[in-house]
Formats: sequence, C-alpha cells, structure tokens
Amino acid sequence: MVRLFTDQLHIGYGERLIVKDMTIEIPDQKITTIIGSNGCGKSTLLKAITRIISHQSGTIILDGQSISKEGTKTLAKKMAILPQTPESAAGLTVGELVSYGRFPYQKGFARLTKKDLEVIHWALEVTGIEEFKYRPVDALSGGQRQRVWIAMALAQETDMIFLDEPTTYLDMAHQLEVLELLEKLNEVQGRTIVMVLHDLNQAARFADYIIALKDGQIVKEGTSEEVIKRDVLKDVFQIDAEIGRDPRTNKPMCVTYNLLKGEDLHEKATSTISTAVHTYS
Amino acid sequence: MIDPNLIKKQRIILLLLIGAIFLTMIVSMGLGYSSVSYDRLIPIILGEGTFKEEFVLFSIRLPRIFITLLAGMALAVSGAILQGITRNDLADPGIIGINAGAGVGIAAFFLYFPIEAGSFVYVLPLVAFIGALLTAFLIYIFSYSKQSGLQPVKLVLIGIGFSMACSGAMVILISSAERQKVDFIAKWLAGNIWGTDWPFILAILPWIIILIPFTLYKANRLNLLGLSEPVAIGVGVSIERERLVLLLTAVALAAAAVSVTGGIAFIGLMAPHIAKSLVGPRNQLFMPIAILVGGWLLLLADTIGRNIVEPAGIAAGIMTALIGAPYFIYLLLRKS
Repeated sequence: MVRLFTDQLHIGYGERLIVKDMTIEIPDQKITTIIGSNGCGKSTLLKAITRIISHQSGTIILDGQSISKEGTKTLAKKMAILPQTPESAAGLTVGELVSYGRFPYQKGFARLTKKDLEVIHWALEVTGIEEFKYRPVDALSGGQRQRVWIAMALAQETDMIFLDEPTTYLDMAHQLEVLELLEKLNEVQGRTIVMVLHDLNQAARFADYIIALKDGQIVKEGTSEEVIKRDVLKDVFQIDAEIGRDPRTNKPMCVTYNLLKGEDLHEKATSTISTAVHTYS
Repeated sequence: MIDPNLIKKQRIILLLLIGAIFLTMIVSMGLGYSSVSYDRLIPIILGEGTFKEEFVLFSIRLPRIFITLLAGMALAVSGAILQGITRNDLADPGIIGINAGAGVGIAAFFLYFPIEAGSFVYVLPLVAFIGALLTAFLIYIFSYSKQSGLQPVKLVLIGIGFSMACSGAMVILISSAERQKVDFIAKWLAGNIWGTDWPFILAILPWIIILIPFTLYKANRLNLLGLSEPVAIGVGVSIERERLVLLLTAVALAAAAVSVTGGIAFIGLMAPHIAKSLVGPRNQLFMPIAILVGGWLLLLADTIGRNIVEPAGIAAGIMTALIGAPYFIYLLLRKS
C-alpha cells in the first residue's frame, strides 16, 4: 500500500470541473511525472494533492489520513511544494529564504536552532548554492534562483517533494542540472518526487512513473515504456509522434512529431510550424 | 545562515536610533511656548524645579513626548503588518479605514454629546477606537469571499473605497455641527496630538506592551505571508487564520494610536519602508528598526510642528504628511 493516493477526486473552480474522478496512487520513493497538454488539469491536480487549493469531492489520503483533516503544519513536515515560478523574493538573501523552509519545525519566537542551521547548511550544500548564501536572491541567475527555491523545499526535510514545472524558463544546461539534482535526491535519499513537466523526453528520461492526463482524466499511467507511445501521445497531445530510443539512456524518446488536426495534408504541414510552438509551450 | 554583517548593521542602526530618540526628547523638552532651559532639566526631573517648571515639563511636555513616541511605534508596526499581509509596500493603516473610521466615530459622537463636560474627553479615544474597529470589520467582511478567503488586493481596494465613503460621511456630519465642535473635529482630523495627558498614555500603553511583542512573535509567519500564497501554505502556514489575527493586531494598534493623536497618516507607510531598505524584508530584522523609526519620526514631526508657527503650531499629522507625501511619490516613481 502506497503512502499517498487519491480516490474519486473532483477538483474545480465554481461550476467548472478541472479534474474529474481521479483515482491515482503515487509510488513511494520514486520519481513520478505528470504530463498533458495545457489546461488538462495537471497543475490543478498537483495543487490539490498539496492542499494549495481545495477539492470538491473525493479524498486524498496520506499515511492513512485524509489531508483535509490533517493540520497544515503536520503536512508541511511530510510534503514540500515548489510552486510554478514563485515570484521574486524581494530583497531577501539566499540564506534567509532557505531558512524559511524550517517553518514547520519552529516554535515560539522562531530563533534558528542548531538543528535548523545544520539542515539549512546541508540544503545549501546539496543544491550547490552555499557560496551565495549572503547574496540577495534577486541578484542570482534563473537557474541559481530555482536551486534556492529547491533548497528551501529541502530545508523542510520532507519525504515527498512536489514540483510544478521546475524547469520552465531555464536554459537546457540548467534544466538538466535541476532534474539531475532531483534524481540524486531520489536515488541517494529515497525521496518521493512528483513533478509536472512539459518536456516529454525529460519526463521519459527521469521518471519512474508517468501519469498522462487529458481533460482532467487519466489517459494512461505507467513506466515511460508504457506511456511514451505513439497511440498515447496521439490521444493526449493530438500529435503524430515518431518514437525512438535515446542512444545514451536507452529510454523511449519522441524524435519528431506533427500535428494531427486538419484533414488536408498541405494545411497540416504549414500549420505545424506556426502552431507547434504554441501547443507545445 | 543570516549574514553576520547584516545583524551587526541592524544593531548599529538600532543604537543610532535610540540615540536620536533621546536627543530629540531632550530638545523637545526644552522647546515650546514656555521654554524650559536645558541646564534646569536635570534639577527639575530630580524634583528641584519651580512649580511652573515642573508643571510645564511633567504635565505638558513629557506626556506629549511619550504619546507621540508610542503612537509612532504603534503606527509603524501596524503598517509593517499590513504591508506584509497585503504584499504591498504602499499599504498603510489609513488604507484599511482606520483614520476615516475613527474620524466618523468622533464626528458622530460630537453631534450627540456636549463638548464641555470634562470626563467626556476620556471617552473620546474609546469612541475613536470603536469607530476604527467597526470600519475595519466592515472592510474585512466585504473583502472576504467564501471561496478564496481574504484577498489582500481586494482588501486594499475596498479599504480605499471605505475611506472615501467615511470622509464623505464626516463632511455631512460636520456640516450639521456647531462651529466650536467643527473646530475640534477639524483639528482631530489634521492629527493634532490632543490626548496629551498621562491617562491617555495609560490607555495606549497596554496595547503596545502586548501587541508589539506579539507581532515579533509572529514575525516568521509574516515573512511567509509576504511570499506567494502557495509557498506559505506549502511550509505549513494556515494563511486564513494568520491573516485575520494579524489584521486584527494591525487594526488595534493603529486604532489605539490614532484615537489619542488624531488622524496621522504616512508613519505606517514610511517607517517599515525605511527599515526594509536598510536591512531587507526579513521581519525579525527590520521590525525593531521600523518601531524606533516610527516613534522617532512622529516625535520629530510633532516637535518641529509644535514650534514652527507661534502659538498653535502645525498639527503633527500635517507635518508627517508634508514629509510623507513626497516620500510616497518617490516610492511610486522608483517602483515604475
């Protein structure tokens, strides 16, 4: 039995349902990736599981207890969340921001204890930002900033870490840097990682388990071998994808793709270039 | 993990501010309509002054000095809290209708009660306090939505709307009042420190003694409320509850201050802002500085205002507005 699962989860804003009847299990100590096109409800699902937003019906169970009934501070010791591109931490230094991650453990006037300092130090070290600890967060590059936020989540010392598109706005090298850091945290410390990713090949390469969503419902879930397949991608993204193998990792990868929409072949070919970027962004 | 240099800087600034406050207090003790010479200050405090000297110092100057100091501190903390929970550096107790609400309370009170009766003077802070609290409560109700809770942006907008409405209501109330009463209300609105007697200090002191340490105790929550909502929830802040508790704290502090000083704006805006620009936005660091800056600014504004024009002087509220308005414009320009 896994620690975290949902049962018949419905999430929506007002009348509109974003996620419908979702029953999923999050494998422990694995990297799980949620994929799907824009507006399919993947971020919404992530936010509901981490109680950032409330759900309309159904349950989310963590360690045998519904998260709606659990204290928010207790949950913060079990799961950390890195929201999509957190806004700037105006004026804060790196060390200060990372120290905020200790909140669930603080009591009284919240002076940093020896234990707090040790954990913060470790979080800075493992994310490779120790040298910036006295610098303002705003003065760092995008990749470094993302690592600061990850360090803050690590300072929370949770078994589970949720990330909403952690690689957005980063260049290729920094994207890989972030994902490799997460992989290391998973492998070395056995932390459960759940993230929303846009890049299919990154999902295939780093995830042990992939959940593909469309219109708020699961199309397919399983390993990358089971999910990154022509028919699944056709259904999820409306694309005609060519699936090959990554020569280095031997994982499945989407080599090239076209849009499916439009009967006329000529029209399809010309619209691909202009809209592919749009759809895929 | 906190830069030791930053902490050192904070300590030095705190010491400098304490020095500045003492200096301003001493200067303020001597200045005024009937002057007390500086070489007589220590003998008077030791009880060797003449009746006139003692009366001026103990019954006029000192209460006024302490009231302005305490009110400035309360307004600074109130502003710091509001800036934190609304995530808006331009927030000030004025925006949640404190000044306007207290003003309406005072104006309405005057319509129904005689101005002469001595004991009524001591009811005034209470009336102002209730007016402010009531307005803040209404603003809260209107900016609360069942689905998304208390929305900071909505709070600011509705607060501004209420301030305007209260100002309008006040004009109507004043227009039907007697001339003598209008004078007092107008002075109150201008922030003419009027509650200059020891009982008023006793009225404001408990709020400060309880709520300022309480705010410092909540500093780590304020830090997180200042970041984005998902981040705050993610580390386990129950944002709805904390926002409400802190909002109430801010309202109580500002209402306690304004009820004895009259309508004073800009201190709650400037003090936290100056402090943040010195040591950054971490509440544990900047809050003590903001408190001292707030107290000092109001004391300084009142000392100058009181002596600049003979004999009545310029109201402290107008003095702070004279300093505050350009500062506000500077902030806006720098933001864009």
